[in-house]
Amino acid sequence: MTGRPPILQLRNLTKVFGTFTAVNDVNLDIEEGEFFTIVGPSGSGKTTLLRMLTGMEFATSGDILLRGTRINDLPANKRPTCMVFQSLALFPHRTVGQNIEFSLKIKGIDPATRKRRALELMRQLRLPEDYYGKNVTKCSGGERQRVALARALAYEPDILFFDEPLSAIDYKLRKTLEKELKDIHRETGKTFIYITHSLEEAMVMSDRIGVMRAGRLVQVGSPQEIYSAPQTKFVSEFIGDVNVIAVTANGAGGVHAAEFGVSFKAPPAPAGFSAGHLVVRPESLRFVAGRSEAENVLEGRVYNEYALGSRIQYQVRVGEHVFIVEKLRQQAFGGHRDDAVLIGWDASDSILVTD
Amino acid sequence: MNSSADRMRRALIWAWTAAVIVFMYLPALGLVLASSTSSRYFIFPITKWGFDWWQKTFASLEIHQLFRTSLLIAACVTVIAVVIALFGALAFARYDWKGRSIYQKIVLLPIFFPQSVLGLALLLWFNALGFTMSWQTAVFAHLVWIIPVCTLVISIQVYSFDPALEEAAFDLGATKWQVFREVTLPVLFPGIFSGALFAFLLSWGNFPLSLYTTGADTTLPEYLYAKMIAGYTPGVPVLGTVSTLGAAVLLLLGYFIIVVLRRRRSAGSDEAA
Amino acid sequence: MSVLAQIFRPGMRHALPILVFLLGGFAAPLLAVIAFSFVPSRTFSLWSDWSFDNYVEIFNSSSYITFVWSLGLAAATVAILAVICYPVAFGLTRVFGRYATLITLLFTLPLFVSENVRLYGWILIFIKNGVLLGTLKSLFGWEPESIVFTHGLTLMGMVYVYLPFMLFPTTLGVSMVPQQTRDAAFDLGASRWQVFREIDLPLAMPGIVIGFLLTFVLAVGAIAEAKVLGGQQIIPITHDIEIAFTYAQNWPLGAALSVLLMLVVGTLVLIVLRRFDLDAILGRR
Repeated sequence: MTGRPPILQLRNLTKVFGTFTAVNDVNLDIEEGEFFTIVGPSGSGKTTLLRMLTGMEFATSGDILLRGTRINDLPANKRPTCMVFQSLALFPHRTVGQNIEFSLKIKGIDPATRKRRALELMRQLRLPEDYYGKNVTKCSGGERQRVALARALAYEPDILFFDEPLSAIDYKLRKTLEKELKDIHRETGKTFIYITHSLEEAMVMSDRIGVMRAGRLVQVGSPQEIYSAPQTKFVSEFIGDVNVIAVTANGAGGVHAAEFGVSFKAPPAPAGFSAGHLVVRPESLRFVAGRSEAENVLEGRVYNEYALGSRIQYQVRVGEHVFIVEKLRQQAFGGHRDDAVLIGWDASDSILVTD
Repeated sequence: MNSSADRMRRALIWAWTAAVIVFMYLPALGLVLASSTSSRYFIFPITKWGFDWWQKTFASLEIHQLFRTSLLIAACVTVIAVVIALFGALAFARYDWKGRSIYQKIVLLPIFFPQSVLGLALLLWFNALGFTMSWQTAVFAHLVWIIPVCTLVISIQVYSFDPALEEAAFDLGATKWQVFREVTLPVLFPGIFSGALFAFLLSWGNFPLSLYTTGADTTLPEYLYAKMIAGYTPGVPVLGTVSTLGAAVLLLLGYFIIVVLRRRRSAGSDEAA
Repeated sequence: MSVLAQIFRPGMRHALPILVFLLGGFAAPLLAVIAFSFVPSRTFSLWSDWSFDNYVEIFNSSSYITFVWSLGLAAATVAILAVICYPVAFGLTRVFGRYATLITLLFTLPLFVSENVRLYGWILIFIKNGVLLGTLKSLFGWEPESIVFTHGLTLMGMVYVYLPFMLFPTTLGVSMVPQQTRDAAFDLGASRWQVFREIDLPLAMPGIVIGFLLTFVLAVGAIAEAKVLGGQQIIPITHDIEIAFTYAQNWPLGAALSVLLMLVVGTLVLIVLRRFDLDAILGRR
């Protein structure tokens, strides 16, 4: 990141609808040229936050600063930012070309310049030139994504916002488009702010990720930081299948799990930690032959197994508690359903989080 | 969006709509006021308030006969229209078949046709067939216009009908008739009910078709028309008020029933979930 | 596939009752009118010498004036209603929220009261010593001329009677414009006016055009407004037709006039309806 001042600063940003606080005291700095993704489940306030940033909703309190200038009350059509909508919101009565040129037409730019600019953008986004006069409703899903992106880029925004534009697209195409979007980000050097409910999607594309929950920004960090050092149970569970055990500090540097009546060795606890959860990823759990082979060991029973392509997942039950163990196919566990097994992990493979 | 300009715009739209509603109901106010004066002529401000004309109007045997005729026609129209329109609506919106697009437009044609001309055309046609005009020919005439309207109303419900429901019932061993009675009919019921309400009220209030096709059997709107072009008759505002209030009560009652039905249905699905 | 098999496919089978009914109740009467327009003046039987005499008579008369009045009044009604209804339709879709159903109901109710009754209410408002003039007189001692039986009041009566027929299709049209599409245009720098012109209007057009068509056709066929409110100041074509059928007892002439009116209306309806995909307009969930 450069020494330039942040392009976008949010200061105590809050939005209240009646008695419901949709966005609660959000503070955030976004750097010029960054690909920043806001992740959260539905209802977490991420869409409201985005609508405030684009000027389609206005903040109840707090400030939005664009390059140091307060833009709270500027409506969307006066802001130098632009959004790619979830539904894409392409104009169905216009051709591909007319869609891309829309903002140029609004600015009163002459048709020849408009067309030149539109064709340039179409080339950049790998849309065939003869699509210029094509009815936008006749385009495929991927093509429509590109048209929407081209339309937004034609506006020459300082910041480009994305409201889950890939959520309605099938898995394979989505994976391709995620990478394409990251390439476009690199090519244009613009600031991208993206919202999604899929942390997986966020991981692929983003420079930094902010996780939202119930209107608050609960953790901000690089994909690596979010993955390896989640600070709360919520963030750790948001990443995917994890094993979570409720624990309390046992005063001896370890933790006590009341559910199993045992103490576990744990990584160093955050200051003032008294109760929370111990998180162990499925791939960090191993099947062990004896209790000495891992720092923490539990005895359970294999209930079922699931083949996930290159990996195999096992459901192991320890009493009522369900653990997920994941192994690469070549390291598959040789046993059968209902076999009694020992599963174990080392303290360094686990994470201590608060609620 | 809640900028002050936006709030201003919303306020303007509210005010405009309120003004249009007042415009729509101003004549009803005239009718109500005129019906509640005791004098022979309507002079505003009213000096002699009273409901004498209500009494006199409803004591009249002629008026009773008018009500009977109008009611008879509307009832027959409702029953026949709903049955034909239900099947019409299934063909309109449920099934995908070859002639559907043309069929949809044919069904709409009578709606997009001047009613007074349609009334005359039917008069000619009945005459050529040698029929005498009576309440039966009026029922037929009303149907020509009301069946398409009714089909359209029911179709809107049919569009949101999932054909997989019928297939599922079949799959569970129901016969064609059972599928219709147990699945299709109840699911479409709100639409059918709205269609029936429309059919009844539109027939009850119809004037241009009745004018040419009722023969000696006069309906209420025809009677009122004859009286109002002849000069001021105190019974006209009374009957006008009654037909306005009657339609309002029926419509609100119908709306209420549909709301209750919907609520019961969604409450049921909540319990299931 | 045989004809029989074609008929007994579910779609056709369900369409059959209504099609048969419309054949006998709509197509046949119209054919009867057309046939009658060719028989000699003042005959009541179809089986006489057919000729174009009735049409010749119409083109030699001043009937075109009533035609112009009818079409002109209908066009004026449509234009005024478009301006009145658009803001209300917009409000019903985007502003009124949970009150929208109630307001829709308020606009539906007048449809079910006979139009001549509703028009008569206006007479009571505007007549000398009526609600309006009586109030002015008693409060301010001001006695302006009554506007009953004028051209203007006839037009107002038509606007009044056909308002729901314009409002509902327009509302359907306005509700077909996705909010996100409007937001997107706004976000791309369009002003409110530009959003209206570039997005709202073109996308709501199917509904608005259906409203135009329906209102125009019904207004061309209007008869009660001119009689009840206009006091025969304006003579619409429907009045000429009615006279021919009743007082003049000249059915063939009335039939010929009807055929000409049907031609105008029919052409318009067919041109417009041909271009619409009704499933797209009615079938939204």
